[in-house]
Amino acid sequence: MIVQVALATGFVLILIGIYGALTQRNLLRMIVAFTVANSGVNLVIVAVGYLPGRTAPILDATVPAAEAAARIIDPVPQALVLTAIVIGLGVTALMLAFAYKLYEKRRSLDIARFSELKW
Amino acid sequence: MIKRALALLLVLALGGLFASLMSAYAPDPELNPTARYYAEHTAQDLGAANLVTAIIVTYRGLDTLGEVTVLFLTAAIVGLVLAQSRRRIPHQPVPGGELLATGTRLLTPLILLLGVYVFVNGHLTPGGGFQGGAILASGVLLVLLADPVKPFSHGLISVIESLAGTLYVLIGLAGLALAGGFLDNRILPLGEFGQLFSAGAIPVIYSLIGLKVGAEFASMLASLSETEDL
Amino acid sequence: MVSPILIIALGLGTAFLLGFLKDSQRGLAWLVTLAALAGMSGVSGTWLWALAEGTAQPMDVWTAGTPPPFAINLRMALPEAALTLLISLTGLLSALSLRDALLARGRRAMAVLLVISMALCGVVLTRDVFNLFVFFELIVIATGGLVLLSEDHRAVAAGFKYMVVAQFISIFLLLGIIFAYHATGSLNLDDMTHAGLLGHPVGAIAFFMLFIALVAELKPFPANGWALDIYESAHPGFSALFSAATGAAALFAVDKLLLVGGETWLPVATGIGLVTFVAANLLALPQTHDRRLLGYSSVAQTGLVLVVLGQRDILGDQTYYIAGGILLAHAVAKAGLYWLSGLVRERHLEAWAILRNSPLLVFAFATFLALLTGLPPFPGFYAKWDLIHLLAGEGRLWLLGLILLGALVESGYLFRWFGYIIKRQAPASESLEPNAWQVIPVLVAAAMSWALAWLWGDLSGHGNLLLVLPLIFALAFLFLDDLPAWLKNSLAIAGLLAWFGLTYELYDPLRLIFAAIFLPGGALVLLASYHAHGSRTGFYPSAMLMYAGLAMLILARTSFEFFAAWELLTIGSYFLILRGKESEPHALSYLLFSLGGAFLILAGFALAAQGQADMAMAALAQVAEPLAPWVFLLLAVGFMTKTAAIGLHIWLPGAHAEAETDVSPLVSGILLKAGLYGLFVLLMAMGSQTLYGLNLTHAMLWIGAITALVGNLLAVFQEDAKRLLAYSSIGQMGYALFGLAMMNHLGWLMALMFVINHYVYKSMLFLSVGGIAKRTGTRLMYRMGGLITLMPLSFIAVLIGIIAISGVPPLSGFGGRWIFYNAILDSEARLPIIILFLAGPIAFLYLFRLIHTIFLGQLKDELRQIREAPFWIVMPQMIFVAILLVVAVVPGLVLRRVDAYITQFFPQGALNWEGLTITSQYGWWNPVAIMIIVGVIFMSIFAWLLFVNRKAQKVKQFNIVFSAERPYRPETTHHAWNFFAPYRKALGFLTVPLVTLFWNGVTDTLHAGADFVRRFYTGNGQTYAFHFIIFVLAVWGLAMGARA
Repeated sequence: MIVQVALATGFVLILIGIYGALTQRNLLRMIVAFTVANSGVNLVIVAVGYLPGRTAPILDATVPAAEAAARIIDPVPQALVLTAIVIGLGVTALMLAFAYKLYEKRRSLDIARFSELKW
Repeated sequence: MIKRALALLLVLALGGLFASLMSAYAPDPELNPTARYYAEHTAQDLGAANLVTAIIVTYRGLDTLGEVTVLFLTAAIVGLVLAQSRRRIPHQPVPGGELLATGTRLLTPLILLLGVYVFVNGHLTPGGGFQGGAILASGVLLVLLADPVKPFSHGLISVIESLAGTLYVLIGLAGLALAGGFLDNRILPLGEFGQLFSAGAIPVIYSLIGLKVGAEFASMLASLSETEDL
Repeated sequence: MVSPILIIALGLGTAFLLGFLKDSQRGLAWLVTLAALAGMSGVSGTWLWALAEGTAQPMDVWTAGTPPPFAINLRMALPEAALTLLISLTGLLSALSLRDALLARGRRAMAVLLVISMALCGVVLTRDVFNLFVFFELIVIATGGLVLLSEDHRAVAAGFKYMVVAQFISIFLLLGIIFAYHATGSLNLDDMTHAGLLGHPVGAIAFFMLFIALVAELKPFPANGWALDIYESAHPGFSALFSAATGAAALFAVDKLLLVGGETWLPVATGIGLVTFVAANLLALPQTHDRRLLGYSSVAQTGLVLVVLGQRDILGDQTYYIAGGILLAHAVAKAGLYWLSGLVRERHLEAWAILRNSPLLVFAFATFLALLTGLPPFPGFYAKWDLIHLLAGEGRLWLLGLILLGALVESGYLFRWFGYIIKRQAPASESLEPNAWQVIPVLVAAAMSWALAWLWGDLSGHGNLLLVLPLIFALAFLFLDDLPAWLKNSLAIAGLLAWFGLTYELYDPLRLIFAAIFLPGGALVLLASYHAHGSRTGFYPSAMLMYAGLAMLILARTSFEFFAAWELLTIGSYFLILRGKESEPHALSYLLFSLGGAFLILAGFALAAQGQADMAMAALAQVAEPLAPWVFLLLAVGFMTKTAAIGLHIWLPGAHAEAETDVSPLVSGILLKAGLYGLFVLLMAMGSQTLYGLNLTHAMLWIGAITALVGNLLAVFQEDAKRLLAYSSIGQMGYALFGLAMMNHLGWLMALMFVINHYVYKSMLFLSVGGIAKRTGTRLMYRMGGLITLMPLSFIAVLIGIIAISGVPPLSGFGGRWIFYNAILDSEARLPIIILFLAGPIAFLYLFRLIHTIFLGQLKDELRQIREAPFWIVMPQMIFVAILLVVAVVPGLVLRRVDAYITQFFPQGALNWEGLTITSQYGWWNPVAIMIIVGVIFMSIFAWLLFVNRKAQKVKQFNIVFSAERPYRPETTHHAWNFFAPYRKALGFLTVPLVTLFWNGVTDTLHAGADFVRRFYTGNGQTYAFHFIIFVLAVWGLAMGARA
């Protein structure tokens, strides 16, 4: 059940993010919309790795190596999500730098104003 | 208005796609074969207690190398983008004040220490190079906030990031030469399970990642702080 | 063998290492970058060599010492080796081209270049889907960075738009990855295939998300506005990488994924690729910005490769040969063109005319164009041939048709551009300052093009075209181009004659006639070229390319050889025609009609071959119903394009009239025969065919008759002497077509007679008229007049020529007519015969005008000083006169053997050759007797005229006085202007250029449509985001709809 809730939340976040990216004309708001969508994606990834009633994939006294397979959740999505987060962060930083550069040229953050290249 | 309506329509259609995905989705009752392999083999093959770390640093080490490269690229490009904007008008930011300056002197070493602790223990406990690196960078951020006028040593940062990056690649190649393949951690003895000096090269790699990530973040922050307010 | 992982380690390690250098050591950093890229190329290159030679086996590289799927693995096999080599070499050459920008920005920019090259290789090598994502994100970020190297400030906006779309892509990619992992328990692509991803409940949607995300990286139409903006604004060195390397890597990623998806998703890939290919080519039509145009073309080519990948189910093992041929051709050519664009300062297509100052760069440009449009001997040609044949074999005709249509449109805008380079005036602001760093990549790409041509020829099952002697001979002239023209001319003539001598034994009588016209006949016409001075850059490679095509055409035993020869002669003659002063639009229309015709021929051959890769020309005879009439139709229309049958004729007048003096006889006297040869071969093999109750040869009969009538009629109303001759050729070809279509013995003999006669007199007349135009400086006949005394030899040639054409005794034209009258007595088709009869007197009208207006009447003041045409132009004419006289007296010399040869197809109606008399079932003809009789009559009348006119008074010039009136159009007062105005009143309605209007309408509609559609690329990044989401949903809807 909790998996479904997490998945649904993740998907809703993604949809909100996409809607925002499609409708907000301000560059910064678009970037924020993407971070919302990325959070949704990350949530979905983690949710897919979750198995009900299990614990974190770290072996210690409470989770000995021999019982690990029966006690832990899937570690792979956790590893993936870390990479996804870092990459998302990189892209966001880059988009912010671009937005800065665009603002510097035009003194505007309206994406519709950067359309000299077309057709 | 039409745009919003169309956007809403598209988002709803995508929602339909996601809904069909969710309705078909059923959580696994058991670990799938890949996860089971990690659960059963990691401790004895790689000697790492934190399975996620083992996956990140070794099994999927190539991804992580790419991930570090993403930060490296971003730092380089942010530097490139902002380099052209820098130093046009002499830049007179307000100093941070006595309270912040003193607090910084007290906190920065502690923050740096915490960062190092987090990445050095990445193979045993939650945490690791990325988290530790971010903590390191937050220390740098504090310094920048406290004394914005202080000239920032891009040279030092650049050497740290290059050194960490190059060593990372070299360790990877050492795995190719001495062990089973690129980024194999078994170039160093696995040590005793659960100890700090264990899991072969994992702590070394994670430390390098920590340093590199810290350096990249610091470099990005420094680049951003040197831009002027528009 | 070194581990392929070194490619990645080397790129990445060096990128990190650059940080140790001081910011001031930029030159050193650049050299280190070059060294790393060269090292990466070296690793890929050694692998490629070893894999191709079989000394190494494809290898799976494990990382972390753990087997997949538990750790990431890479694969190095032949496609991977080729692609990583392509990527790192492109990176290396782009680093040269980007030198100034890189040095200005410093080591960070160089690190970004290294990382993108490494990441592109990673995309190709990795077998892990999440690893693929990581490499793709590296590419996205690095692209964002490299876009900034441009001088164009708009590039920042383009980079932002790209990242907006990239964010959407990564959302879908990540969702796809995680659910695919959930479905199969693995991130490994091979594992996913085995685990049956699509069988799982979430598998189909997961696969779709992966698929759509990777496909979006291919810039599919319409979700590609961002890519075009990048192409337009980025530094050309980066655009080269973006087009060649990124495109190739993304395609390979899609291919890997398609193998997971199995056959279900192949049609979807095909559909997306096809729409992209056709739409992007159409949208490129109205482009005037060079880099954006290349961007559209890149998108289109990528679409085409996607189509090929989507046809894997029928292409099987051939997939990589075909897709690789198209992809590598596209990548090398596009990269070369982008690097070349760095040498041109302004961004509209005409500015490229500046390249004309450097023949080497023009050669490189032409190479890239031929590479892109798939002309022989380049890889795209072999690939296109195999692709079309396999598609036809499976009956995927719609696909086949659309691919050929897209390719034709693409040739249209690319060759239009080439025309600009050769013909237009470069803007004053342009100057060519070849910078070694920008020229070297271009030249390397050109060299690679030829290397690929060799390789693909070597791998093809049809033999390597670069090993065919005539083609080698033609290409050798490229290297001799700096020699003086007379030397090259002698070489060319010697080559043609030697080849004829060498192959003489191989021809049957029919082919011998064509061979004699193409080879010694060609040599004869080339004599006229001795008049040219200097080195005449570009003439000989083009002319010899055409001759190579012709020589290969008559020797072709298989459909592949035939088609390759056909394309070679087309392209060679296009380059020749383009040399004329005003010929730019005409050369283009010639090329487009010819390529259109060639594509029909290709489709015809492919249909006939029924899945075979190739077939003997003779096997056309074995094609069975219901296919046979369609094959016949396609081939016949294809060949009739070359003979300028009515409806397909509008290219001819301009092309022939505007060509240079010694080129007009080449393309008219000689080249037109290639079309007739094709028709001969076709009819010999397939005979009459019936389609929906319509006898196709009967239809050809009508076409021939109407062509003869309209061609002659249009010739009558020309003011321009060369145009008149050109229209006359249309009419003459109509006669020949008619003769062939009669499908009886005498009809064929007559057609052959026309083949010979038309060669002789049309070559001769074009030379005379060309010589006259050269001296008078005009081709308008009313501005000439009275030249009989100044240019007596030209007069004789024209006189003999028109006697021969008009078919009055005693010259060879009469022989043709005589056979013709006999032939139609054999035929049932009355009405077309009447039309053909009508055409006869009309021909006389224009011929009369030719001699009357040019040579008779009064000499114009400004022409009093002119001399006879240059010796080398007159000399061949005199030889032609001699030939005409000899053939007139002893037509049996050539025709007897052919007559006997034709008997095997039509036993009825052979002629009887006894001594000097030729007998048919309707009568007899003795050429010698006729010659004597006509000669006596002529001499008597001539003597009588001289006698009665001895006191004739000369009319003084301008003795008609206009009372101080200056007419608005002075030529209207000249009697020879609009000479046949009365006939125009009567018959003018027949000369309304309906056909021209029709074809203009077609091109205008295409242009206007494309111009309208491309407006949906608004330039707004958010609109592009909408396009992307709509694209995703549309593909999903269609894919689901197709499955349901």
